[in-house]
Amino acid sequence: MSKSKNSSQKSQTDDLIGAALVIGGGIAGIQASLDLTEMGFKVFLVEKTPSIGGRMAQLDKTFPTNDCSLCILAPKMVEVFRNPNIKLMTYSEVIEVSGHAGHFFIKILKKPRYVDEDKCKGCGDCASKCPKIEAPNIFDMNLGRRKSIYIPFPQAVPPVYLIDSDMCLFLNKGVCRVCERICEAQAINFEQKPEEVQIEVGAIIVAIGFDMLASKLPDNWGYKYENVITSLEYERILCASGPFEGHVLRLSDEKEPHKIAFIQCAGSRDFHIGIPYCSSVCCMYTAKEAIITKEHSNSSECYIFRHDLRAYGKNFYEYTQRAQDEYGVKYFNSKISKIVEDPKTKDLIIKYEDLDDGKFHDLRANLVVLATPLVPSEDSEKVAKILGINVDKYKFFKEKTLYDKLSSEQEGIFLCGFCQGPLDIPETVADASGVANKVSTLLYLVRNTLLKEKVVSVPEKKINLEDEPCIGVMICHCGINIGKYVDVPQVLEYIKTLPNVTVAVDNLYSCSSDSQTRIKELIAEYDLNRFIVASCTPRTHEKLFQETCEEAGLNKYLFEMVNIRDQCSWVHMEQKVDGTKKAKDLIEMAVAKSRLLKPQKESKLSITPEALIIGGGISGLIATLNIAKQGFTTHLVEKESKLGGNLNNLYQIFPGYQKASEFLEPFVNKVKSHSNINIYLNSNITEIRGYIGNYDVIITTKGNKVNNIKVGIIIVATGANELIPETIYNYKKEKNVITQLELEQKLRKENIEWLDNIKSITFILCVNSRQKEGITYCSNICCTNALKNINILKKLKPDLALILIYRDLQMSKKGNEEFYRDSRKNALFLRYSLDKLPIISKTKNGKFNYKITLFEHNLKGEVEFYGDLIILATPMIAPENFKELSKMLKVPQDQSGFFLEAHVKLRPIDFATDGVFLCGCAHWPKNIQESIAQANGAAGRAIRILSAKEMKTSGLVAEVIEDYCIGCGKCADVCPYNAIELIEVEKTFEDYTLCLKKSNINSALCKGCGTCGVQCPNSAIFISHFSFKQINAMIKAYLKN
Amino acid sequence: MKIVEKSDKKQVKKDREFKPNIVCFCCNWCSYAGADLAGVSRFQYPASIRIIRVMCSGRVEPAFILKSFKDNVDGVLVTGCHIGDCHYISGNEFTKDRFERLMKILKYLGLKDRFRLEWISASEGKKFAELVTTFTNQIKKLGPLNNI
Repeated sequence: MSKSKNSSQKSQTDDLIGAALVIGGGIAGIQASLDLTEMGFKVFLVEKTPSIGGRMAQLDKTFPTNDCSLCILAPKMVEVFRNPNIKLMTYSEVIEVSGHAGHFFIKILKKPRYVDEDKCKGCGDCASKCPKIEAPNIFDMNLGRRKSIYIPFPQAVPPVYLIDSDMCLFLNKGVCRVCERICEAQAINFEQKPEEVQIEVGAIIVAIGFDMLASKLPDNWGYKYENVITSLEYERILCASGPFEGHVLRLSDEKEPHKIAFIQCAGSRDFHIGIPYCSSVCCMYTAKEAIITKEHSNSSECYIFRHDLRAYGKNFYEYTQRAQDEYGVKYFNSKISKIVEDPKTKDLIIKYEDLDDGKFHDLRANLVVLATPLVPSEDSEKVAKILGINVDKYKFFKEKTLYDKLSSEQEGIFLCGFCQGPLDIPETVADASGVANKVSTLLYLVRNTLLKEKVVSVPEKKINLEDEPCIGVMICHCGINIGKYVDVPQVLEYIKTLPNVTVAVDNLYSCSSDSQTRIKELIAEYDLNRFIVASCTPRTHEKLFQETCEEAGLNKYLFEMVNIRDQCSWVHMEQKVDGTKKAKDLIEMAVAKSRLLKPQKESKLSITPEALIIGGGISGLIATLNIAKQGFTTHLVEKESKLGGNLNNLYQIFPGYQKASEFLEPFVNKVKSHSNINIYLNSNITEIRGYIGNYDVIITTKGNKVNNIKVGIIIVATGANELIPETIYNYKKEKNVITQLELEQKLRKENIEWLDNIKSITFILCVNSRQKEGITYCSNICCTNALKNINILKKLKPDLALILIYRDLQMSKKGNEEFYRDSRKNALFLRYSLDKLPIISKTKNGKFNYKITLFEHNLKGEVEFYGDLIILATPMIAPENFKELSKMLKVPQDQSGFFLEAHVKLRPIDFATDGVFLCGCAHWPKNIQESIAQANGAAGRAIRILSAKEMKTSGLVAEVIEDYCIGCGKCADVCPYNAIELIEVEKTFEDYTLCLKKSNINSALCKGCGTCGVQCPNSAIFISHFSFKQINAMIKAYLKN
Repeated sequence: MKIVEKSDKKQVKKDREFKPNIVCFCCNWCSYAGADLAGVSRFQYPASIRIIRVMCSGRVEPAFILKSFKDNVDGVLVTGCHIGDCHYISGNEFTKDRFERLMKILKYLGLKDRFRLEWISASEGKKFAELVTTFTNQIKKLGPLNNI
């Protein structure tokens, strides 16, 4: 029996290929590729342009944290480039696909670069000598100029030049060949021809991203005028490495514009001649661009012409409020009729209707930035045809079902990122982990069959502690992020004078791949035994530089990082002298520490291949199923008596109007019947101990039944609750004032007799949310929910009067704008503003229950009407019990009480604590479609760990110096991980042997916190990388002056 | 007479220019991240502190503080995760104990106003900036620490 099972499994695996093709090298493709290799699959990453990075590489900063976009992206690009299991094929296109899920045959066309990728060092000598034939720089949205031999941007990956065959003198006119003579690496090869490559993969991920519509915009937006630009063009202008090196200049006269107007929805949400959907991200990036503009020049005036304000993500609404309150950005609630140019000054006159006063106005601006629609990549139809998949009516790729947006209709082909529909960066990253999980679910039987181990070609240098330290220092300008506020050349000169500093250099971006090469060259050239980078925060970049050092043969613990951006230049923007002094001190302190650094060894840790999912709502169910399907035992803990979470309270779900119970049933049944899944209902987690790979968890079930389990990873999918509006609109007293969830429960009854006496229902949106105090955020899902319920009610009772009172309607994402337009016919939509809330009073005449008085914002007048039932759309809030869980898991909550992810942009479903992941509404209010995608993502992140049998532990541990240890055991008392025990050691003296107690630290369990070292009365514990001597040296170095 | 006047003026000018030296210990998981968030949010504060990163506030030995004062530091800040939030479960509880005891010594030495222990979470960038600002002002009022 078992034999036949094996052989059937064998024949199943025979046809599966443990590799995936990823089409598109933007953030979506990059994240999916990195996750896939960690899950044990080989990746072919095909990118049409000469470099990976995509749109995110073109952005200046990212909202809502104003992180430098390239700074957070570059490390990932470099990681792709270094990964031995990713075959990076840039400047290439997929031209033919055949085969089936599990085994596809792919033909790829590699376009000629005319530069040998293996030989080019990216030095740029060729471009500097290339005769001045300057072409528009595509990366700078055609604003800047480049030579005909070029690199797309300084941090490009691969860091290899290429020749523009349309521009090159030799390729077109047969003369020149200067680059060929100049190139010392002899990398120029004019003989290169287009090359066809054939590969076989098990699955395909499509992540080809988006374009920005500009030239096809209707005339009234004025894009033809020089000083009217798109927001992506403006991103390049803002960027320190952009066409004006970070100076905000307009194109006509290259002068600084004083008045800048940002126009939202330019060409989108337009059902006649434009793009019908909302691009989702423009409200936020416009607020960001305005804030950054004000940071560049505080005297400039920024005006944002908005329609609805769609700021629905974590900290988004607050961010738009900060733009207004702190930065003085002015918002106009308006409709634009036309933008015309003043031909003399090249200024623009914006003709608009102010919706707040109902009048028409003109505004003169020096520069206009249009938030034009983000549209599917121009290649989408072509790619769809090659792959045999469909596009939807907007030409985005069509998803399999409304609730499975990561799969295409074709088995084995998956969709990720903006090519499936509008979304922002964190959603894209979560989706990327989600598609990686989908691939893994399809191909898990052939995991690890095609992988190569990462080979470090340079053997580790032997460091004798007596050797004189030879320290290399690299100081980063971070574009202008550091260089503008800290005098880097002055710092550099000072650092060069310090003892043991063998070499010190500065550069524009230390994180770029060419800088990694530079670091390796420096270590080899000067025979360095320590290295320091002074740039941003070690929390994001230390690992990158450590790996670089390792590749150069330097133990990674001989690297030290100094934070002169987040903790210096960014917080001392007005204190250049003091900031420069601080930067000098900080680097000098690091040099002092560096002299005393020791190489450390890393040990290996086994992984328990079991998972714990906390929360049995839709997110938890999806995550559980995905992990169990791949062969891992999964424990699902639910505090209620029933699986399904919030879906148990809903009637029909958005956007497909399926009954929630019918939608839920197959998932619950699959979970219940799966042999790898253990379900604990009516249960709570009462204790969590341990660390990644080895968590000991105690689950307590009602009736005090206790289960001890051991798991490798934990996923938090605890959901969120609807706010009960105790004090608002007389909710507590009035039985006909109810919340949306209470309405859903009424609807679930099927019997609609309760509707008989009801003639009019009023929905009030944004109840107790988006306020100045209290709950400040937008809860994301209430608008679509309310509209869904309006449509349901209208169907149930067509003569029902329905009124919806709103502030802004959050109808971003594909299809929602049409949904909204369709719903308009079913209800009367009235708008209110935060300063004039609607008033509900009880009527006495008995015909209706309530009178609603409202100041209608668009009509500018008071409106009165009557209603029988009032539905309050209150926000979703983080339940109280998050606090307890947060303490047990050692993971933080954000200011609103939701769980705080490791990084808002690029690690949206990880916690800072290794081995713990996050999905669904516990992260932020989200709808079913997004929860499912995120749950797939969390499962994917978890599978990376579960599928590895062992992991390397950190070298940051405590070590006992046995001779000093007096065996008092104080260290063991304070160790939170029980990593220390007292052991008996025999010590032989001249003529007798003594049995002594000594402390012993298990380095696999030790997390390196260092508490034991402080507790030791005899300084017998050495805390690696943070030793007593090292920290003292830092203090001394600072205070010696 | 004249000479005294001149030196007085100099002294006044020097006082006005007094820029304290402050050592600030941050734990890797909460307060260091909070300090990063202050940067990301561009909350401005005086360039008076030098952050020393440790993995846990439980790593900060009271001796580091005493050594700093011996080397004439004007103030010392120790920051870590809020009690209950410690990444290492209970490290900061030991920190709390240790520094409550150290405080007694500092009181005896007349240094208690030059030292502060604060809990800062990864999401409290604003609090970090405010802490540095108020502590710097406090030290400025106290003036430079002369050799003890």
